[in-house]
Amino acid sequence: MKLHRYRRIFQILFLVIFLALLTFTVWPLGTIFLGGFLLADPLLALNSVANGVVRWELALALPVLLSPLFFGRAFCGYVCPLGFMVELLGPRRERHPGPRARKILRRVPLFGLVAVLLLILFGSAVFLVFDPLSLFTRTATTLAYPAVDRGLRLAGDVLYLAPPLRGSVDSVTEVLTGRLVFANGLAYKLQLVMLVMFLGVVAISYVERRLWCRHLCPLGALLGLVGRRAIYGRVVNDSACVACEACAAACPMDAVRDGGRSTDCSRCQLGLECADACSQDAIRWGRRPRKQHVHDPSRRALLKAGGLAFVGGFFLFTGLGRVQRDAHLIRPPGARFELDFMATCARCGQCMKVCPTNVIQPAVFDAGVEGFFTPQMDYRRSYCDWNCNECGRVCPTQAIRELTLEEKHLKVIGRAYIDHNTCIPWSEDRDCLVCQELCPIPDKAIVFTTGGGGQGRGAGQGAGQGGQTSEGIKLPHVVPQRCIGCGVCEYNCPVANEAAIRVRAIEQTGLLSR
Amino acid sequence: MRDMDRRTFLLSTGRWLAVASLAPAVSGCARALRWSESQGRTVSEEDVGTTATTSSEASTTSTTGSVTSSGSTSSTAAAPIPDLVVIRGDSPDKNVRAALAKLGGMERFVEPDARVVVKPNVLTGRPPEYATTTNPIVVATVVRLCLEAGAAEVTVLDYPTSSPRAAFKESGLAQAVGEAGGKLKYLSSRNFERVEIPEGEAITSWPLVSDVLEADTFINLPIAKTHGLAGLTLAMKNLMGIMGDPRSQIHLDYPKKITDLNTVVKPHLVILDAYRVLMRNGPTGGNLGDVEMPKTVVAGTSQVAIDAYGATIMGWRPSDLPSLVEAAGRGLGEIELSRYRVVEGTA
Repeated sequence: MKLHRYRRIFQILFLVIFLALLTFTVWPLGTIFLGGFLLADPLLALNSVANGVVRWELALALPVLLSPLFFGRAFCGYVCPLGFMVELLGPRRERHPGPRARKILRRVPLFGLVAVLLLILFGSAVFLVFDPLSLFTRTATTLAYPAVDRGLRLAGDVLYLAPPLRGSVDSVTEVLTGRLVFANGLAYKLQLVMLVMFLGVVAISYVERRLWCRHLCPLGALLGLVGRRAIYGRVVNDSACVACEACAAACPMDAVRDGGRSTDCSRCQLGLECADACSQDAIRWGRRPRKQHVHDPSRRALLKAGGLAFVGGFFLFTGLGRVQRDAHLIRPPGARFELDFMATCARCGQCMKVCPTNVIQPAVFDAGVEGFFTPQMDYRRSYCDWNCNECGRVCPTQAIRELTLEEKHLKVIGRAYIDHNTCIPWSEDRDCLVCQELCPIPDKAIVFTTGGGGQGRGAGQGAGQGGQTSEGIKLPHVVPQRCIGCGVCEYNCPVANEAAIRVRAIEQTGLLSR
Repeated sequence: MRDMDRRTFLLSTGRWLAVASLAPAVSGCARALRWSESQGRTVSEEDVGTTATTSSEASTTSTTGSVTSSGSTSSTAAAPIPDLVVIRGDSPDKNVRAALAKLGGMERFVEPDARVVVKPNVLTGRPPEYATTTNPIVVATVVRLCLEAGAAEVTVLDYPTSSPRAAFKESGLAQAVGEAGGKLKYLSSRNFERVEIPEGEAITSWPLVSDVLEADTFINLPIAKTHGLAGLTLAMKNLMGIMGDPRSQIHLDYPKKITDLNTVVKPHLVILDAYRVLMRNGPTGGNLGDVEMPKTVVAGTSQVAIDAYGATIMGWRPSDLPSLVEAAGRGLGEIELSRYRVVEGTA
């Protein structure tokens, strides 16, 4: 069977499916299910289950988790889009930093897995930053789609200079608006950090070929652990083998051991470059005989790795400052309580992808090191759209729970506070009231009184509080019982730079009763 | 590093540099274009002119009070064209058709092969029952009337304050306009150009939607709602939707600024949708209890006249609206309704 010859086609196919699903992850979602890849990710699924999130969609992860029992890490060679990128952009020829470093690197996966286990026990999902599917989703969301948005916009601007083309540009714009081109123009905080992270994963391939996939990827390590004794895999004809080690040099995954005769199934991705490189035609794909060598790291190595990982994990955890609630760290509607949220959020960025207003931004360091890339609402950048509840619908781990629109309209995520020192009516004695106009709450969470000794509703209160203001000036007030913290007021506040009305995180009170 | 001789090295460096310089070159062009656009242009009378009949002429021959017709939608050819037509009836579609018939037919405003721009109020996305956005049936009927009058294309546009796709979909306008044969337009920064406002007192120039300036016929299609700052939002304020950012600045010194805008942009036809109106918590609304149903449409050619009449539907006196008083003071029209020739009817 020469299926491995078509490996590249599989990779391209899965990459296209992955990007197509991600591209369709926009408002309105409709009924198609788009987070398939992330749901099928066993690492995310394990973390979710460990945190008590069980949903039927997680069954998708089961075949992926169990596939290594039969096929080793075929997932890495045939499906994983990040693996494909590393393969495509990295060096083609084998390189490694020397036998000593190699020995240490080979222990990293086990070390990593123990660290992952500890982090799960400590209730932190920070390791999912390094999950390959999460990392790739995040990279595409924060870099590729903004680039497409900007490119299309620029192309439209240029074509618009030719009047005969304007009609067609308008028609295309109508189709693409809210899908690939966005009213605000997509942009994410510190895109450079995401770029460096992605390029770093590729660049370490120049230290050792596919170093990321071989030794560092936590999902690869998990699949490798399951696939240590895979039933199918690389089979070497011992009598034909001349121990030339051409296969070891050809293997992109560092899976060949014992001078070519045995295979480390926790790394073999069934690419069978070894078979193509073998001058004796001694390697084929097939059912591995019982007697075939199994590479087994010594027990001492396992214990050492375990011990080191325990100590490392312990310090890693204590080093991650638990997020003290920052007044401006506002999570999307439906997000779990902070501790649960940190334990479940996959840091994949699907919520940021689907958000039609681009208000959901990655917390780069605002939520602490542990909260890197968790979603955060940036109300100077944008606002939470009244008609949208999609972030909870795409979240693969239910760190943001799905809310119906009715629930979302009552979901308190923060509360607006007016700064009387900068608010235009309060401090400059001029009418403004943009916040009150645009407040989407049906009964208006922002009301106004009339300043001075003036008449009109709430005049008595206005006379007291707005004593400095002229008669008739309309002074905004927030009604705390009505405000859900959607940020429309903060976004639209005409005060430059820091808005005079700002949404602050409050102790979460669940749904408003209305 | 691979071995390469100097020649290959220089060639490949040159190639990369060429590619790398492409991006700044393109963005440089874009910047240059923006610069040239920002030089602005003055709107001439041809761009946004008033229609042939001017309200000042008509107001001199106005009849006091209103003439209530018998309910038939055909107007006699001999009768002078009124300034304002007010039609009440259970069908928004029939109301609009009757109003236009009394106003001289859509042919008066739309010439064959004209490019028409229609500006409804699509503040944000809410279903039509909440009276937050212009009634989709009214918009669809206007689009159909324009096409029936021979318009080459009818573009429906607004610059919502929330995400445009959601706003047009939730308000039912995307579907209604599509079915009526109109073209929906989502605005982008390239659709705005800076326009001088020679008579401006608070703003002397502002980016406006160029389609509106270039249209053969511009139809303003507001809905009547309350508004915290302005009191009411009717025809004059609806034009805020063709203004580019920073739009929220318009609220500071609002009556002057909205009047400034109305000195340069004068729709050829104004149809106020008061089928459902929002009496409280406007302009966004969201409570069915705040909606009342006068089932009325008011059509005319003067923004000020429409607003003055619209105010009475909402239970306000025109003189209570500061923006209307400002506009009247600056000669944009009369706010005394008795000065207009008003025709009321039912459909």
